[in-house]
Amino acid sequence: MGRMRKLLDQSLRPLVIYAITVLVISIPVYFLIIDWIWENELDKHHYAIREKLEKRLSHLSLPGGAVDNMIAVLDKVQPGFSFNEAAAPRPDSLYTVIRFDSFMNDREQFRCLTTDIHVNNKLYRLLIETNMEEIDETILAIGAATVFFIALLLSGFIYLNRKTALRIWQPFYDTLASVHTFRLESGKSVPLPASDVTEFADLNASLDTLMQGSLASYRQQKEFTENASHELQTPLAIVKSRLDMLLQSQSLDAGQMRIIEQVYEAINRISRINKNLLLLARIEHAQFEEKERVAVHEMLSGIAAQFGDRFEDNALHYTENIGPFTTDANPVLTEILLTNLLVNAVRYTPAGGDVTVHLDDRVLTISNTGTAALQAENLFRRFAQAASEHAGSGLGLAIAREICARYGWQIAYDFSSGMHRFSVLF
Amino acid sequence: MKILIIEDEPDLSESIGAYLGAQDYLCEYACTWAQAREKVELYRYDCILLDLMLPGGDGMDILGTLKKQGQQDGVIIISAKGDYEQKIRGLHAGADDYLAKPFHLPELAARIYSVIRRRSFGNQNNVVQNELKVDLLSKIVTVHDAQVVLTKKELDLLLFFIGNKNRVIAKSALAEHLSGDIADMFDNHDFVYAHVKNLKRKLSDAGYGNYLKTIYGTGYKWEG
Repeated sequence: MGRMRKLLDQSLRPLVIYAITVLVISIPVYFLIIDWIWENELDKHHYAIREKLEKRLSHLSLPGGAVDNMIAVLDKVQPGFSFNEAAAPRPDSLYTVIRFDSFMNDREQFRCLTTDIHVNNKLYRLLIETNMEEIDETILAIGAATVFFIALLLSGFIYLNRKTALRIWQPFYDTLASVHTFRLESGKSVPLPASDVTEFADLNASLDTLMQGSLASYRQQKEFTENASHELQTPLAIVKSRLDMLLQSQSLDAGQMRIIEQVYEAINRISRINKNLLLLARIEHAQFEEKERVAVHEMLSGIAAQFGDRFEDNALHYTENIGPFTTDANPVLTEILLTNLLVNAVRYTPAGGDVTVHLDDRVLTISNTGTAALQAENLFRRFAQAASEHAGSGLGLAIAREICARYGWQIAYDFSSGMHRFSVLF
Repeated sequence: MKILIIEDEPDLSESIGAYLGAQDYLCEYACTWAQAREKVELYRYDCILLDLMLPGGDGMDILGTLKKQGQQDGVIIISAKGDYEQKIRGLHAGADDYLAKPFHLPELAARIYSVIRRRSFGNQNNVVQNELKVDLLSKIVTVHDAQVVLTKKELDLLLFFIGNKNRVIAKSALAEHLSGDIADMFDNHDFVYAHVKNLKRKLSDAGYGNYLKTIYGTGYKWEG
C-alpha cells in the first residue's frame, strides 16, 4: 500500500496543478499579445507621423533650399527621424531592431518604419523609429507578474480550502473520531454527531445500525453461552441423580459398578466444562464487579492446604515460599485464579515431581516438573490443550488469563531446566 | 421427618424423593410457584428443598414469606444458578444451605441431615449408632464411651455416612464432599480410599463393628 493521502489534499492537488499550468501558458500568450499591440500601435503611429510630416512640409510652400535645411534640422535634431534623399521609390519596410543607443547609453529595442516621402517633388527616404521596451524585459515582467499571481492564487486556494473544505468535511471527521472510540467489548455504541447534510446523516445512520448490529450479535453470543450452560445444568442434575439411584439397586455386579463409575467421571467432566464456560461468560459479562483488599498470601496458603491430599496421592514434593502481598481485587476471582494455576501445576506434574509456589512483592510464580516446553501461544486459549487423558476442562488457563486481563495483571509462561513456570505480575 | 421438594423438573424431584424416601423421610412435592406457596403456608416441614427458578415466580419470594412469618422450617436452596452472588443472597435471606445443580443425592441427604439435626436438637445434639456416639457440637466421637480421635476429614466422612445410612455412595460423591470445589477438577479420587481406610481402622480399633462396607471398590455403604 502506498503512502496514505489526506482527503482535503486530494481535492486541492488537481486544482493547484491546473492553475499553475494555465498561468505558465499565459506567459507567452500575454507576451505575444502585448508585443502585437505595441507593434501595431507604433506602426499606425509611424504612418500618421509620416502623413503629417509630408503634408505639413508640402503646405509650407517653402523654397527648395529652405525645405532641405528644415529636413536637415529634423534629421539632426529630432530624435527618431532620419532623412535621406532617394533616387527611386522603394516599398515601405516595418521592422524591429535591438541596438546600442548612445543617447540612452543602453541596449534598446526600436520599432522602425522606412518609407518614401515626397516634398516639393523630391523623393526622400524617411526612417522613423520609436524606442520600445525590450522583448526579454517584457517577458521578464510578465513572468514576474505571473509568478506573483500564481503565489497569490495558491495561497488563496490553500486558505479557502482550509476554510471551506474543512468546514464542509467537519462532520465526517467528527464521525471518524467517534467511530475510533467504539469498542465492542464495552457493550455501548458511541454517539455520532448530528448533521443536516444528507450524505453525512446517511453515513451516521448506517454506522449506527452497523454498531447496534455488532453489539447485538456480540451480546447474543455471550448470552447464548450463558443460557446454554444454564439449560444444561438441569439435565446434568437429572443424570447425576439417576446414577445415584441406580447405584442403590441390589442386583449390580462388579462390571456394572465400574460402568457407573465411568459414567460418573464423564458426567463430572461435563459439569466441570459447563461450570467453567458459565464462569468465563460471567467474567466477560463484567460481573464480579465489587473489589476489596485481598491478602493474596493468606488466600494462597489456604488453597494450597486444600491440595494436601493431592500432593500425597501423587507423591509430589511441594515447596512454598510465600511473602505477604495484598491487592485490590474481587476475592472470588482471585481465588479462582490461584486455584486454577495450582490445579494446573498439580494435574500435570508426574508422580514424584516438584511443585513450587513463590510469592513476593507483586510476583507470583508457580512451577512444576515437566518434560518439554508447552506451546505458549496456545496455552491460554479455550480448549487449546490436546491431551485428552487429563481431566482438565480446557478452560482453566483461559479463565486465569481473563481474570488477569480484568485487573491488568500480566500472566506468562516459560519453560527452563525441566520446570514449567507460570507467573503473574500483579 | 417431612421434606418438601420444590422443583419444577419432575425427573429430578422424583429421584430426590426416591432417595430420601428410602431413608424414612416423608416427601411432598411442589412443582410450581403457586403450589409451593400454598404448601408452605398450610403445612410445616422439617426441611424444604427450594429451586429458585420456578414456573410462575421466583423461589426467593417463598423463602421471604417463610422468614416473614417466622417459620422454623429448614431451607436448602437447590439451584442451577451456581454463582456466588446468588449463593450469598440466598444465605442472607435466611436459607440454611445452598447446593448448586448438578449435585449428588448423598450430598443432598447429608446436608438435609445436618440442617435437621441443627434445627431440631439444639444443645443436646448427639448422634447414636449402635455403640458409636457423635457429639455434633463438641465434635467428639466415642465408641463404647471411649473417645476416638478423628481428623477433620474423617469426622466429615463419618457424618456423611451417617446421613446416608444404608445407601450406596459413589466415590466421586465422597470426593466432592471432602474437597469441595477443587474435587471436580481431578479424575483421580484415590485419596478418598485413604481417608475411608483410616476411618474404618480407627473405628474398628475402638471396637466398632464392621458396618462400613466397600462395594466392589467403587462405592461405600454405611449399615446401621
